[in-house]
Amino acid sequence: MPCLQQSAATDAYASGVPRVQRSANVTWEGNVARGSGAISAATGAFSKLPYSLASRVERPDGQTSPEELLAAAHAACYAMSLAGELAGSGTPPDHLDVHATVTLDQVEDGSHRIVASELVARARVQETDAATLNKLAASASEGCPLTKLIEASATVTVNATLEGDPDGD
Amino acid sequence: MATDRTAEVTWHGDLMSGGGRIDSVTSGAFGGLDVDWVARSQDAQTKTSPEELIAAAHAACFSMALSNGLAQSGNPADELKASATVTFQPGEGITKIALQVAGKVPGTSEEEFRQAAETAKDNCPVSKALAGVPEISVDARLEG
Repeated sequence: MPCLQQSAATDAYASGVPRVQRSANVTWEGNVARGSGAISAATGAFSKLPYSLASRVERPDGQTSPEELLAAAHAACYAMSLAGELAGSGTPPDHLDVHATVTLDQVEDGSHRIVASELVARARVQETDAATLNKLAASASEGCPLTKLIEASATVTVNATLEGDPDGD
Repeated sequence: MATDRTAEVTWHGDLMSGGGRIDSVTSGAFGGLDVDWVARSQDAQTKTSPEELIAAAHAACFSMALSNGLAQSGNPADELKASATVTFQPGEGITKIALQVAGKVPGTSEEEFRQAAETAKDNCPVSKALAGVPEISVDARLEG
């Protein structure tokens, strides 16, 4: 199963799936204040993405950061998890929009910490209602390994709405 | 000051046969990256996945922290080349992250470099956020 750890809906295809390894490479030059790095994915899906301290804690100016990559990971992981939950309850989604926002903040001892990841999902699903979606949206987050990890030291919130719902647009 | 970074993903269909795309991110640095379950759990081909993005986030965070630690101890690095490999066991979760780094650091010893790498591994914000991963290792060596 993808993100899901406990869902019966996805247990069926989890069995027999071998472990998976994914890698990325970074080259960093110079010191922290003035140096910069470049981030590449082993699959080649992205390569030599520049980043720096400024792009991380100030304005991004077109450059990514570890927290932005983590937001992308969480959004992608959660979208798969929610698709799995919805399909598992017999209502696969026509369309999901998922946003993840990761917050890096300075804490009391002066160090930086990831303090929150906020998930917002908008779903176009036939024949379901807001209450069911909310339930599945919460299970999808709870079943996502990345949510579990982040939750140990930061806040993870989930807000899911149905497309076409008066509260959802 | 807190900084927020957002990523937007769309998904169509169910998990097994459907697919998604990382459409955009706050910085605009990347977008239009396709993801699906088969690529994530089997042969990636050229598609990224949550685990690859976690690897990228961790390698990037670790490199910056190590650069900072070396500079603070008076031996700034000329260059660091780092990688992160995330092991994902479907049904279980992320079971391991292996960091590797090769550094050009004038005036430092292998032992000092290894110590600095351990400290960076323990303290960078992504490491703190992923501290629940059962095993996070670092292999550090000096170059040249």
